Amino acid sequence: MLTNNDLVRYQRQILYAGFGKEGQERLKRSHVVVAGLGGLGCSAALYLTCAGIGRVTLVDCDCVELSNLNRQVLHYEENIGERKPFSAAQKLARLNSTIEVIPLCKKITQHNAREIIRGANVIIDAMDNLPTRFVLNEACIAEEIPLIHGGVHGLLGEVTTILPRRTPCLACIFPELPQQQGEFPVFGVTPALVGALQATEAIKLLAGFGHLLAGKMLYFDGETMEFRLCDLVRNPNCQVCRTRKV
Amino acid sequence: MSVVIRVHPFLRHLTGGQELVEVDGHTTGECLENLEKRFPGIRQEIRDEKGQLRGYCEILLNSESTCNRDLSTPVKDGDVIHILFIVTGG
Repeated sequence: MLTNNDLVRYQRQILYAGFGKEGQERLKRSHVVVAGLGGLGCSAALYLTCAGIGRVTLVDCDCVELSNLNRQVLHYEENIGERKPFSAAQKLARLNSTIEVIPLCKKITQHNAREIIRGANVIIDAMDNLPTRFVLNEACIAEEIPLIHGGVHGLLGEVTTILPRRTPCLACIFPELPQQQGEFPVFGVTPALVGALQATEAIKLLAGFGHLLAGKMLYFDGETMEFRLCDLVRNPNCQVCRTRKV
Repeated sequence: MSVVIRVHPFLRHLTGGQELVEVDGHTTGECLENLEKRFPGIRQEIRDEKGQLRGYCEILLNSESTCNRDLSTPVKDGDVIHILFIVTGG
């Protein structure tokens, strides 16, 4: 049930045709897990909090470093050395005290991924490494929870929404992993944009309106300012989304 | 057929910084082979040891996915091929 304060706080989005009070109530009843609190996760968590998602869980095992501050906008200089989930949760709680923000300082592994995401309505893939992205993908397929994937490099970005067993999963899309690189170049604006796009997908999915990037990859190149939308193909022999039993 | 290949930023160190390369070919695969001949380092970046397109590459023809890992999609004069890669940073 929306409060009078909710109606004021969210009035500009409640005005949006096809969203309204019903959409806002759906967001309030929703639980989103943001996996990773780097550039993507900070941006996505910020806009999910603004939008009034009822419960946001923030998962990361790292501490804030000076070199994070060009892009990880929920961490400030005074937070250097602190656990990222706590640093981010402090800011989000000040931004919107009416929602529940849960910091979780854990490394996501094959052993705990399903437990971490269980019961959530949407997972934001904001990880900084491929192996954990694939662990998360497998857990989301097993738990049948939508996964909104985002990735960045320099001024390049990509976003897709994975609906378990209905759209290609990460393992269908990328049947082979590139060698993991060390530090990669990135401007803060790239994860800011991609994380905001991930939050946009989550809001539409949870409120039930609009068109999703389901079965489509949106590629962004900030150097040329080009966006490309490409159809993705499900792999009928995918070892993750074809064979797994629920 | 003369087509333009838009070289992904990840590969431009192999083309001397060149973004657009004009090549001939009748299919996306032939065009990529001609690109690989001119810039030999590209082949191992986009194909595996069996010559198949790597699983983390995507080939677009005129901004549309070819959805075709055997690279047999026909091309015509003036077409543009994009080579894309998964980006994994967060």
